[in-house]
Amino acid sequence: MTATQLSPGSVRKTAAGATAPGRRRALDRYLNPALGVLGVAVVLAAWQICASTGVVDPKFSSSPSGAFRALVDSFTSGDVWSPLGSTLSIVAWGMLISIVAAIPLGLLIGRNRVLYALTDPLISIMYSVPYVVFLPMLIFWFGIGADARVVIVVWSAMFPLLINVIAGARNLEQSHLQVSRVFCASRLTTLRSVAFPATLPYILAGVRQAVGRALIGAIVAELFMGSAGLGYVVQLKTSNFQTDDAMAAIAVIAIIAVLLNHGVAYLEQRLTFWSRTD
Amino acid sequence: MNNPRRKLVVDDLRIGHWSRRSGSFALACDGLTFDVAENEFVAIVGPSGCGKTTFLTALAGLTPVESGRLELNGEQITGPAPDRSLVFQQASLFPWRTVVANIEFGLKAQRRLDAKGKARVAELVELVGLAGKEESYPRELSGGMSQRVNLARALATDPDLLLLDEPFSALDAQTRELMQEELTRVWQADGAGTGKTAVFVTHDVPEAVFLADRVIVFSRGPAHLVEVVEVDLPRPRGAGVKRSPRFQEISDHILSLVMSQNQPGRRTEDHDSNAALSR
Repeated sequence: MTATQLSPGSVRKTAAGATAPGRRRALDRYLNPALGVLGVAVVLAAWQICASTGVVDPKFSSSPSGAFRALVDSFTSGDVWSPLGSTLSIVAWGMLISIVAAIPLGLLIGRNRVLYALTDPLISIMYSVPYVVFLPMLIFWFGIGADARVVIVVWSAMFPLLINVIAGARNLEQSHLQVSRVFCASRLTTLRSVAFPATLPYILAGVRQAVGRALIGAIVAELFMGSAGLGYVVQLKTSNFQTDDAMAAIAVIAIIAVLLNHGVAYLEQRLTFWSRTD
Repeated sequence: MNNPRRKLVVDDLRIGHWSRRSGSFALACDGLTFDVAENEFVAIVGPSGCGKTTFLTALAGLTPVESGRLELNGEQITGPAPDRSLVFQQASLFPWRTVVANIEFGLKAQRRLDAKGKARVAELVELVGLAGKEESYPRELSGGMSQRVNLARALATDPDLLLLDEPFSALDAQTRELMQEELTRVWQADGAGTGKTAVFVTHDVPEAVFLADRVIVFSRGPAHLVEVVEVDLPRPRGAGVKRSPRFQEISDHILSLVMSQNQPGRRTEDHDSNAALSR
C-alpha cells in the first residue's frame, strides 16, 4: 500500500505529548490558542491597513472589514443559506456514498489476497492522479446538475478512504484472528466483530482525509460547473467585482472546513479511545 | 467413554508444516503417543522450540495433523470446535471490547449468549477475581488481569477440553506465582467437583509440577515422548506445596530430563532426522 499518510499512530502523537509538567500544560492550554488568534489578527490587520491606506485597491483585494460586513449582510438577508445548503448537501451525500461503499469494499479487498492484488495498482493510480483532471470528462458523462457534483465528490473522497480501510484490514493482528478461529466465529462474525472494529482507527483517519477532499471536490465542481453552491457564489461575485461578497463566501467555506475537521476529530476520540497509547 | 483414561487419545502423532520459502517439510512432533483421562490436568514441558506449542495448536485445531490419531471423545480433531478453548500465551484481548464483552466473545461467536450464557459470564467474572473491572478496557488492565480475562474467556464456552499455552510466561515472578494458585483454585471450582480436562504447556518445570496431575516431558524438536511423570501431590494444593520435599524431588527429576534434552550430543542426531525428512 503506497499512500496512507494518516496512520492512527501518527495522528495521536500530538495528544500523547501532553504529559509534560503542569506549567508546560497550562502553557499549551491557554497560550497556544491565544497565539493562534494573535497570528490571524496580525494578518487581518496588515490586510486592513494595506486596503485602508491604498497600498492595494480594496476593489480587487477586498478588506477584512468589507468582507465581514458582507458576511453579516449575507446572513441577515438570508442569501447565504441556499448556496450553503447546496454545498453541504452535496458534501453530505458524497461522504455518505463514499463511506457506505468504501468500508465494506475496503474490508473485502483487504482480507482477500487475490482481490487485493487485482485492485491495488488501480486504486493507487486513482488515488495519486489529481482527480480534477477527470472533471471535464465527468461533466461530459454526467452533465452539470447536482448528481454530477455528487459524483465528483465521491470520486475525490472515495480513494483516500478506501486506501485506509484496505491498509487497516491488511494489518489485522494475527492473534486476534486466531482468537476468532479458536472460538469458531463465522467469516461474517470475524469481519463484523474483529476486522471492522480493528480497522476503525484507519477508517476514521481515512474519513478525515476524505472529508477534506470531499469539500475541495464540491467547491471545485461548483467553480467549474457554475450552477449553485458556495463555490458558484465565489465565482459569480468575483466576476462581478464584488470581492467583499466573494471573501465572505470564502469565509463560510473556511468555517465549514474547520467544523468538519473538528467533527471527525471528535468522532475519532469517541470511537477509537481504546486504541490510544498513553 | 467407558474407559475414563481415554478422554484424549494421542497415537503415533506426527505434526509439521511445509515451509513456503524452502519448500521442505519441518517436523514439529513425531511418534507421540499418550492418553489424557477425563478431568485430568496434564502439563507438557520440554526444551524451548521443541514443538509443544505446535502440539497444542493442533489440539486447538489450528494446525493440521500430518498422520496418526488425535482424538477427543473418540473423534479425530480436524479443526477448531466449541468443545475446546485455548488460553493464549499473549492475552490477545480485543482492545475495543470491555472485560465482560471480551469474556462473552466465544459465546457470542457460537450464538450461545443467552440468559444462561450471561449468567455464566457474570459467575466467571467473580471466580477469576475481576469483579469491579467488568466495564474496563484491556488497556486499563495489568498483565495479570489481562490473563484472568483470557482464562475466563476460554472457560466461558464451557469447553470439554481446556488448552493453555504458557499463559503465565510473560508475567513477573510474583504475579505468576499468584496466577498459578488462582488457576488451581478456578480449575477446581469450575469443574464438576474435580475440574475440567486441561492440557497446559509450559517451559517452567515447578509450574508444571504445581499445577498438573501428570507431567509429560517432550524431547528436543521434533518432539517425541521422553517420559510421563505422575505428580502424586495431594489436592487442593496451596503455595506451601512448593516447599515440600516430594515437590522438590519430582521437579528435580523432570528438570534433569529436560536438561538432558539440551545436551549438544543429541543435537546432531536431531539434525540428521531433519535432513532425512527434507529429502
